[in-house]
Amino acid sequence: MKKRIFLASILGALLLTFGMAGTASASGESLEECLLGEWLEEKGYLGGDHGDGHGDDHSGDHDALHDEELLKEIEQKCIEAPNPIMPETNEIIWGGGAFLVLLGLMMWKGFPAVKRIMNQRSEKIASDLDQADQAKSDAQAVKAQYEAELADAKSEASRIIEEARQQADGLRSDLQARAESDIAEMRTQAAADLEAARDRAMSDLQAEVADIVVGAAERVVEANLDAEAQAQLIENYINQVGSN
Amino acid sequence: MSDDRITKYAEAVLAVALAESDGAEVEDELFRFARALEGSEDLRLTLSDSKIPVARRQQIVEDLIGEQATPATTAVISMIVAAGRGGDIHRIADEVVALGAASRAKAVAEVYSVIELTEDQQTRLAASLHSATGKEVEIKVIIDESVMGGLLVQIEDEVIDGTVRTRLKQLREAF
Repeated sequence: MKKRIFLASILGALLLTFGMAGTASASGESLEECLLGEWLEEKGYLGGDHGDGHGDDHSGDHDALHDEELLKEIEQKCIEAPNPIMPETNEIIWGGGAFLVLLGLMMWKGFPAVKRIMNQRSEKIASDLDQADQAKSDAQAVKAQYEAELADAKSEASRIIEEARQQADGLRSDLQARAESDIAEMRTQAAADLEAARDRAMSDLQAEVADIVVGAAERVVEANLDAEAQAQLIENYINQVGSN
Repeated sequence: MSDDRITKYAEAVLAVALAESDGAEVEDELFRFARALEGSEDLRLTLSDSKIPVARRQQIVEDLIGEQATPATTAVISMIVAAGRGGDIHRIADEVVALGAASRAKAVAEVYSVIELTEDQQTRLAASLHSATGKEVEIKVIIDESVMGGLLVQIEDEVIDGTVRTRLKQLREAF
């Protein structure tokens, strides 16, 4: 599409260039009719057609400049030169043709291209607007989602804080209960240890007393177990075994 | 040493004892020597030490027993030591006593006492033990001061304890 537009533009420029050049040439030809040479030649001041037979152009020009009648006629002729505003017929024909050609080309290629470009531009703008609307909708959706997530996060944070507080309370209660249990257990253990220590002391005391008593008994027995006592013990044993 | 070998040695000793006398005297002397040997760890190790020449160990036995035992008992103990069984004398002696008593249809009653029992006491004790256990027993007195007083009788697996040591132990346990 752009390539066609480019080619159409180049063609239009070429037509305009050559068309304007043709017009300028025609205008130049029109002005030459008012030039001094043509009138001088026509009046016989130029070339070999002078009445005095002189062939010198400078002398002719000098004569023409000094010819007041001729000057007036030249002035009149030049004043009556072609209208600078109104072009000549061939210029109108060329200009009109070029214009028509250019207009045709523009209507054939330029306008549809411009219209198509405008349509495409409009469609692109509409599409951009739609995309902008879509982006706005998406942004709003994201914003809504973000706000929802923020609300959820706040709610979650509140829940976590509450849960942590409850856990802390529970932990504190557990620790307190455990401490109380430990204290009770320690008290029980201390009482048991005390009881055991007391029993052990009593047992040790009894053992010590037993050692003392038995030791004393042994010493008494050893001191009194002479041969007679030994014989008596043997007799007692024999009698006791025989009586069973 | 295996029980079978102990029994073989005991039967051999018993045969020698019966060949020399009625056997009871040799049994009794062998039993007493074995008990004395149990109380002396050094003597038991010396008699069982293979590094000491046999003749030296036999000389030790003869010097220890001397005139306190019959020549048959000394010869039997010397034979056991020469055979390298000095460490098993107490087991052989127990087996000899058991075999001898069995040959006489009696059981051995080991009597632990601080003092020696008289013949009368041994006779009455054997009668009392027969009355208590229903077994005919031969009294073998073992002097043991650890019993402190009274008697401890062991007949095979049965023990009848009437010692002062045990009474004091019971008194200690009663506290």
